[in-house]
Amino acid sequence: MCLGIPGRIVSLSDGGGLLMGMVDFGGVRREVCFAYLDGQVEVGDYAVVHVGFAISRVDEEEARRTYEALKEMSELDELDWMREVAETGLGPLKERPA
Amino acid sequence: MKYLDEYRDPQLARTLVARIKEESSRPWVMMEVCGGQTHTIVRQGIGEALSGSVEMIHGPGCPVCVTPLEQIDRALHLASRPEVIFTSFGDMLRVPGSECDLQQIRARGGEVRVVYSPLDALELARNNPDREVVFFAVGFETTAPANAMAVWRARELGVENFSVLVSHVTVPPAMVAILESPDNRVQAFLAAGHVCTVMGWTEYLPLAERYRVPIVVTGFEPLDILEGILMAVRQLESGRYEVENQYVRSVTRQGNLPAQDLVSRVFHLVDRQWRGIGMIPSSGLGLREPFAAHDAERKFALEGITADEPSVCRAGDVLRGRIKPNECGAFGKACTPERPLGAPMVSSEGACAAYYNFKRFPAPDPRAADVAAARAL
Ligand code: SF4
Repeated sequence: MCLGIPGRIVSLSDGGGLLMGMVDFGGVRREVCFAYLDGQVEVGDYAVVHVGFAISRVDEEEARRTYEALKEMSELDELDWMREVAETGLGPLKERPA
Repeated sequence: MKYLDEYRDPQLARTLVARIKEESSRPWVMMEVCGGQTHTIVRQGIGEALSGSVEMIHGPGCPVCVTPLEQIDRALHLASRPEVIFTSFGDMLRVPGSECDLQQIRARGGEVRVVYSPLDALELARNNPDREVVFFAVGFETTAPANAMAVWRARELGVENFSVLVSHVTVPPAMVAILESPDNRVQAFLAAGHVCTVMGWTEYLPLAERYRVPIVVTGFEPLDILEGILMAVRQLESGRYEVENQYVRSVTRQGNLPAQDLVSRVFHLVDRQWRGIGMIPSSGLGLREPFAAHDAERKFALEGITADEPSVCRAGDVLRGRIKPNECGAFGKACTPERPLGAPMVSSEGACAAYYNFKRFPAPDPRAADVAAARAL
């Protein structure tokens, strides 16, 4: 579960004191936290992202190779979790069970 | 060697395999401690390719698999409480507890939510102030910075209804536990690349020195692994025991310093139980005192929940390299990925599931298991 997925940085912004950014993972987009690469990345760069946190910058070639390798290995579970969150949302739950 | 043709660069793979075989003057025993590497090694048949030269033992490299039964039972207890929204990474949902798993709790009406980032769980807590949101904080050093940040932010933003059930483990103490066990056979380690992306590799220096064991930081792709193994063989053949870095594409000497810094502000080292292995001193992370309000174990008084691991599961022997997964009597029969008895059968990175999924290993006859058990004694 610790492999992380490389993606391309689409945008960077301030999220209440934390550097946040939109990352494109082979077509799936998701906001992630860049606090641990603050000052080291720009839009258009590639980063390895694990559970919503960018942990290292990589070059484009390495990002592509790694993404393909993960795909071959079916080690892209994190993308499924992203989709699940996108589907169910993080808003208020409707009712409180009795 | 049919699997070699599937490599990105089959020619290079062949050359590396040939070199490893040529340069090994005797059979060497190595251990990888990374679920991603285990997956690749089993899937690509690297063990068979190197048979006679290098034996790979699949160590406790999957955080999902080593999360102790007790912590799973605590998670199940919390997830069953009506006021709790229990949040977790997706790969924990099918890990068997004593009675059931998180997925079953969800089916029975428990509020169990898969999150991608621990910050998702925090967001959920902010949006549901009348509910208790608990996040299952598991993982190795690679995941700790993310989980540390969620706790840090919760305190900063005063999100009182957010807490974490922590089951973090760290890799080097597990390596020490393996090296110190009386029947240890491991002569060299491949260290986990992505763990070192965060941590760097200097913490392995005293380990290599004290136990005179070569440690090669290695990536998870097939060619990475073959290269890492060759580097380790060369050290063994020349009597060196150093820390070397095969995975320079991702790992620097110092690692990610801001991440290490926040982890050490939020967490401190604690003794931690490893499923199948038992207690390893100072091998886990627990919340520091200033974050006690976000500690689910204290908030919900969970100390009373303890568990004994089922004796039929031989995960401990598998993770210590005493037996191969298919030498466990339950392998492929009572225990399958659909109905796992033990955690290493749950995750695709667990040694048992990796063996099962790549099907090249028949379940042994009972005598073979006995022979293996006798060998382990
Ligand atoms: S095959 Fe199943 S029962 Fe046997 S060690 Fe692996 S997880 Fe445990």
